[in-house]
Amino acid sequence: MMAFRALVLFATLMICLPSATASALEAGDRAPAFAAPSLGGEGMVELGKYRGKVVYLDFWASWCGPCLIAIPEIERMRSEFPEDQFQIIAINLDQAEKKALRFLEKNPIGYPSASDPKGRLPEKFGVDTMPTSYLIDRDGVIRYVHRGFSRGDGSRLREEIRALLRTPKLGKK
Amino acid sequence: MKRIVISMLILSTLAISTGCVQVKPWERDLLARRDMAWDPDPVEAKREAHIYFSKESSMPGGSGGGGGCGCN
Repeated sequence: MMAFRALVLFATLMICLPSATASALEAGDRAPAFAAPSLGGEGMVELGKYRGKVVYLDFWASWCGPCLIAIPEIERMRSEFPEDQFQIIAINLDQAEKKALRFLEKNPIGYPSASDPKGRLPEKFGVDTMPTSYLIDRDGVIRYVHRGFSRGDGSRLREEIRALLRTPKLGKK
Repeated sequence: MKRIVISMLILSTLAISTGCVQVKPWERDLLARRDMAWDPDPVEAKREAHIYFSKESSMPGGSGGGGGCGCN
């Protein structure tokens, strides 16, 4: 009987092994600090630099259809909120940087985008859908996770951003 | 005990031999290319399917058999 139990446990482990991945970060988790090279440019994109602001962090790629719907909408949102309180950061996951740059030539964005072709950052955040975006509060805590993107999602995001902008930084209450 | 070890070895071999690799959502760059699609050219695929069912009077689902004229 003992041997049978050991065998069942072993079989379960073998089945579960390939699907073992880092758990996805959810609302309430602290956003991991990162610094990644800027897409097509010099310098680094750092999350820590924007502490004190509400940050919208977007993982995107030029081959991902919904990401391409999201980007013009995100760009519109950028101008709708005060620059000193709200910041958008994008992380591009194209393996060939030039594809992302080609897309941005046609659809310019006014916010920084990092390049992470090896996918270290989505691994860290546990991204399980493309695109995934995180709304991070002034204290660096994830408050909302948006998976996928379809037309009309912008209004929901705007509501979340507005609510977060109304919330003061911890310690300033 | 020997039987358990052999069973574990068989299970391990089976699990490894499936060759399953989990493609992460951000690793679909190459898979998203048009030429990686099952039918990269849908018009061409439709044309070929039409010729196939017309000539063979059988098809992989989608329409009825024909007499070879290709008109149905």
